[in-house]
Amino acid sequence: MLGAQARGINRTKLTAVILFAVVAAMGGLAFASVPLYRMFCQVTGFAGTPRTGAYVGTASAGAGAAGEVTVRFDANVNSQLPWQFQPVERQVVVRPGEEVLIHYRAHNFADKPITGTATFNVTPFKAAQYFNKIECFCFTEQTLKPGEDVSMPVVFYVDPQLFEDPNTAEVRKITLSYTFFPVETQAQQPSAGEKAL
Amino acid sequence: MAHGAAAGHGAHAHGEHDHHPTGWKRWVYSTNHKDIGTMYIVLSMIAALLGGMMSWYIRLELAEPGIQFIEDTQFYNVLVTAHGFLMVFFVVMPAMIGGFGNWFVPLMVGAPDMAFPRMNNISFWLTAAGLVLLVMSAFVGGGPGTGWTVYPPLSSIAYHPDAAVDFGILALHVAGAGSILGAINFIVTILNMRSPGMTMHRMPLFAWSILITAFLLLLALPVLAGALTMLLTDRNFGTHFYDPAGGGDPLLWQHLFWFFGHPEVYIIILPAFGIVSQLVSTFSRKPVFGYLGMAYAMSAIGVVGFIVWAHHMYTTGLGVNARAYFTTATLIIAVPTGIKIFSWLATMWGGSIDFKAPMLYAIGFIFLFVVGGVTGVALANAGIDFALHDTYYVVAHFHYVMAIAAIFAMFGGYYYWIGKISGKQYNECLAKTQFWLFFIGVNVLFFPQHFLGLAGMPRRIPDYPDVYAGWNMVSSFGALLTMLGTFLFYYIVFHTIRSGKPAEANPWGEGATTLEWTVASPAPFHTHEVQPVISAGDHGHGGHGHGAHPRPAE
Ligand code: HEM
Ligand SMILES: [Cu+2]
Repeated sequence: MLGAQARGINRTKLTAVILFAVVAAMGGLAFASVPLYRMFCQVTGFAGTPRTGAYVGTASAGAGAAGEVTVRFDANVNSQLPWQFQPVERQVVVRPGEEVLIHYRAHNFADKPITGTATFNVTPFKAAQYFNKIECFCFTEQTLKPGEDVSMPVVFYVDPQLFEDPNTAEVRKITLSYTFFPVETQAQQPSAGEKAL
Repeated sequence: MAHGAAAGHGAHAHGEHDHHPTGWKRWVYSTNHKDIGTMYIVLSMIAALLGGMMSWYIRLELAEPGIQFIEDTQFYNVLVTAHGFLMVFFVVMPAMIGGFGNWFVPLMVGAPDMAFPRMNNISFWLTAAGLVLLVMSAFVGGGPGTGWTVYPPLSSIAYHPDAAVDFGILALHVAGAGSILGAINFIVTILNMRSPGMTMHRMPLFAWSILITAFLLLLALPVLAGALTMLLTDRNFGTHFYDPAGGGDPLLWQHLFWFFGHPEVYIIILPAFGIVSQLVSTFSRKPVFGYLGMAYAMSAIGVVGFIVWAHHMYTTGLGVNARAYFTTATLIIAVPTGIKIFSWLATMWGGSIDFKAPMLYAIGFIFLFVVGGVTGVALANAGIDFALHDTYYVVAHFHYVMAIAAIFAMFGGYYYWIGKISGKQYNECLAKTQFWLFFIGVNVLFFPQHFLGLAGMPRRIPDYPDVYAGWNMVSSFGALLTMLGTFLFYYIVFHTIRSGKPAEANPWGEGATTLEWTVASPAPFHTHEVQPVISAGDHGHGGHGHGAHPRPAE
């Protein structure tokens, strides 16, 4: 009987240990969701995350039949960043599979060098998985000297699959949007927003 | 073999000659499941007054268009936030899980106490500390005005620059840790400490509901803790989990929050299911119809509850396939839910129903839950939700299905068990009056909010256009009735303890077959020290009470 009791206590402890492990695993999963989420968005184009990387298909294959899409360019600057930032061309008409080079321009008003980084997305979201960027200023941080004016290239193509997927076949206009944010540096000054509040 | 433990069940009466600490030490250092349960109930009743007063103040402001009382709109947001947090984390959860769970799970499964009594004490005091921190957060700077969903960027340092949100995060961390420890305690107790013969398939449905709830807590709360930690480091240490400027994404918060949040609503409602099953069976004098179906329906709800979270996020730009999936998955929950509703009705069908106050509350619960379930099925359709998201329709939905339904189960539980807890029986006439006052009150309060929502009135705003004036006034009048009903309940508790009649061991007669009715009222400090042995003839889950009752330990 004592043995049975001891076994009971061990079982109790074992159950508790397993349950604590479950808690730890779920907590870990919450943090693991960060890279998982990013991977998921990049693989699926979820929430307008455009694909990146070189084109693997054959350019303009079957494009004539599929028609054309208009790609419009949008630019935004975070209020903390004293830059002007805008696309050179407002929009271009592209054929699927065609590699296209376009430019944005950025100008630094401030009297000191400033580093910025751009986030991007594509609308409609569902088209994002067929919008591929081969080269983009948004892949790296950009530093502008005081008063400097630079041209920022983007190379992209629209995957012909866009016209085959019944979910996206009717899409004829795609908007590529960028938002530039300042990159926080070590010597961080209180931002205007915080002072205002 | 395991019966060996029962060999000594002689006639010695434990409860009486028991040495237990007295004075403040009895409570502060308590490791007794009943004392800890009582403390949880008291904590919940205090928090309910705080949370209630906030909601009545909100309704006072909303009674008429324009700004009447609350000039500071941030303060309005703080009220809404604190009301939600208090009610979810410090009223419903402590009362049903910490309070009734602690009191009656060991009694029902025939265990002498919880598996880890000292951990039980820590769970309670962590919850109490969480409550204090949460109340403090409202007084730090402008207070947290984020809503209970704490979405960034509103909750980020840019829009809540003082430490209020950090205090709130800390409060949830601390209370969450308490809940996780409590959940582990319940699972270990239920899996390992049942009396001989109390098999899982004979366990009362309330114990089942707490077991499943504990598993949900275990799986959901760590995710909230992780998400909150990321928010904390975003706010204070310059990380960018939710900040697009640094490559993060505020939507990540919504996914993590609702991965916790949807199971959380079931954490609140499953114990209510358990209580209502006991009530319906007791007062219909019949075993629960489809007992096993009920237990497994709860399990199914628990499992499916983890894969529907994005029905709270239809308008965030989810793709059409994701919306189709989440709509379907959400609608599937209606199946096990329907099984429960029909089983309760079938239990009542042909029973000799005794309409005592707890039974009125059980029936009231079923009514409210069905109304809220129907609006839930409407909202589950992504197309409809585009129009109704963030309107008062959603407010009406979740108050019917979760908030008020849970409160009804709690009131039912209070009246059902107060004799066992306090040793005094409540006054039936007062209790029935309180039921009708409260029932009419909440329906007048929340039903018109469906109309407001359909007409497009957004939630979480202190002011609104004149077109919405009529139903808002009606709704606020309902809040007044609800307030009176609430105060009457506190009076009834006071009256019962002061001058209630002594309660019998089993005041409910043959319908009440679970083990807590085999011990004296009030339940002695120690119960089931000698394990009761349950034989196949007994239906611990609410069978006819005529079977050989398990031997009382006292
Ligand atoms: C029949 C089953 C149910 C369905 C189909 C359902 C569906 C939904 C949907 C689609 C929403 C999102 C509405 C929106 O924000 O636009 C929602 C919100 C909500 N539901 Fe349900 N629901 C069901 C049952 C429940 C239950 C049982 C509870 C709690 C016990 C609950 C509590 C809530 C809460 C608290 C919210 C609002 C959360 C917030 O935004 O603050 N629901 N429900
Ligand atoms: Cu939900």
